[in-house]
Amino acid sequence: MGTSSGAATSVEETRKDMGNNGDRPLIVTEDLWKTYEMGSEQIHALHGLTFKIERNEYVAIMGPSGSGKSTLMNVIGCLDTPTKGKYYINNRLVSELSDDELAFIRNKEIGFVFQTFNLLARATALHNVELPLIYNGTPAGPRLEQAKAALAKVDLADRMTHKPNELSGGQRQRVAIARALVNNPSIILADEPTGNLDTATGVDIMNLFERLWEQGNTIVLVTHEHDIAAHANRIIHIRDGRIEKDEKVR
Amino acid sequence: MNINLKESATIALNALNAHKMRSVLTLVGVIIGVTTVIAVVSIVQGLDSYVKNQVLQFGSDTFTVQKFPNFVTSFEEFLEYNKRRDLTLEDMKAIEERCSLCKAVAGIWDRSRTVKFGMQSIEDVDIRGVSVNAPFMGQVMELASGRHFTETDIDHVALRVIIGADVAEKLFYGRDPLGLELKIDGVPFEIIGVAKKTGSFFGQSMDNFARIPITMYQRMYGSHESLFINVQAPNEAQLPQAMDEVRVIMRARQHTPYKKDDGFALETAASFIDLWQSFSQGIFAVTISIASIALIVGGVVIMNIMLVSVRERTREIGIRKAIGARRRDILVQFLIEAVTLAGAGGLLGALLGIAIALIISKVSPLPAVIRWWSILMGIGMAASVGLFFGIYPASRAAKLDPIVALRFE
Repeated sequence: MGTSSGAATSVEETRKDMGNNGDRPLIVTEDLWKTYEMGSEQIHALHGLTFKIERNEYVAIMGPSGSGKSTLMNVIGCLDTPTKGKYYINNRLVSELSDDELAFIRNKEIGFVFQTFNLLARATALHNVELPLIYNGTPAGPRLEQAKAALAKVDLADRMTHKPNELSGGQRQRVAIARALVNNPSIILADEPTGNLDTATGVDIMNLFERLWEQGNTIVLVTHEHDIAAHANRIIHIRDGRIEKDEKVR
Repeated sequence: MNINLKESATIALNALNAHKMRSVLTLVGVIIGVTTVIAVVSIVQGLDSYVKNQVLQFGSDTFTVQKFPNFVTSFEEFLEYNKRRDLTLEDMKAIEERCSLCKAVAGIWDRSRTVKFGMQSIEDVDIRGVSVNAPFMGQVMELASGRHFTETDIDHVALRVIIGADVAEKLFYGRDPLGLELKIDGVPFEIIGVAKKTGSFFGQSMDNFARIPITMYQRMYGSHESLFINVQAPNEAQLPQAMDEVRVIMRARQHTPYKKDDGFALETAASFIDLWQSFSQGIFAVTISIASIALIVGGVVIMNIMLVSVRERTREIGIRKAIGARRRDILVQFLIEAVTLAGAGGLLGALLGIAIALIISKVSPLPAVIRWWSILMGIGMAASVGLFFGIYPASRAAKLDPIVALRFE
């Protein structure tokens, strides 16, 4: 996957760190800390994490609840910034960006897939998929085409005008995946994507991820289920904010 | 941004549509504010053109000399004016003789009396003692039949009368009144003319009158009241000079010392319009202060409902932020919603205000002029209220932390 084809934005600062070195890993973290103050006590949700994720990897981040995997996901997804340490996506140092600059990075580089789908209830499938393009200023014509193409990739071309409540759980999650794909992001970041689905539908969704990975996408999967994590080719186990084990599988 | 605009406006309109009752209640303050302004603007505009029209019929080249000014603003002032000497027929004659720039001079006294024809009678008829020139100054009094007074009628203190269209209708039912006998306070007058109908002014008929020679009026009622003297200049441009000339003549007659104020008032159509305008500005000021209170209350309610909306849609805001909406995008979205919401109230208020103005002009003598730009003004007013009171909720939405917002149930 190359960089996104979306229109340029004014957030120039984010480009300063941008080399064009395709050889460097897609994600690089150096000594990531996330610390919360609870009264006088300090709680370290991330305890100095250092790891890399290469292009077209399929990584599962596993850990029990409270392990810090949600915090890690928020930081990887640029929803949150680390208290200490450096985080690069695509050679861009993103750990010290402002809110709006992070929004720009999320729009360009990250495609979120959530456990609860998180679609806009009042909007059609097509409009939901269009949304990321709206926020980067893609003109209406190409936007519609890209959104339709993304829906076609998840086999929902015939459900474009349906609203979420007219779709099954699996279909909703596929709309969410189409939305994640539409901007050609560097990473697809999926947080328990099968958590709200029955087993058969969950398998369908995992097959879809498999396909997307085969097509060249980089996928980061956050889960606590072993059989879901087993779809990945690398599993990073998190416990108490530290990497407990980082293993290649398959 | 353009699609954002359309999308946000659509969301606001859909929400309005989905909760009609709530929307009306939400917008009630804004609607009342805008309705008030639009209704008052329409009525005042109506009055404005009406007054100008009517007053200008008095004649832009004409002024009156009178004891009291048209508007007396306090009782103290009234007492002061009341000390002035009454104007008399002699004053009128002096102006007639000595004023070189006065084309025509007429004197008028009037009072309300009952008139009778046989067994029939009408109360509260405006009895006017007039001089020869009176019907021709300003709006000319046209006759449907008969003739005007002549100098002879005035000089001979003739028992002759010219009646208004209302009096003719009510007493004679289509019979020709010419030559018949009309009794005013028991005194018989020969009817020599009937005036054409002129209509009403502020709901008051202008045709309910009987005109008699001013000399006859003086004989019947004495001259204990001050005379109204109408003076016509050769043209509008020479009106000020004519007024100056009359002022000098009157001051000389009243022996007014050099530095003392006039002991009489000179009034023109323009001075009446000026007075009307300062009066209508007063009406506007009062209306706007009342409407502002309604609009502020309406704005606070909109702010409240927008805060509820932001809370209800916290998760939506989180989703939007997660996929790349910046603070500004969220801010603009909620501002547009607030403006659309309030603007819809403004439209409703404007239409309601126009409807009320039309109803008032139908059931009361007050006229109304509907200006279509007042709809835009109403929407604009309401939209600015929405914009102002939408800032706080919208900035709350814009500042939401996406992680917290996404976790919101």
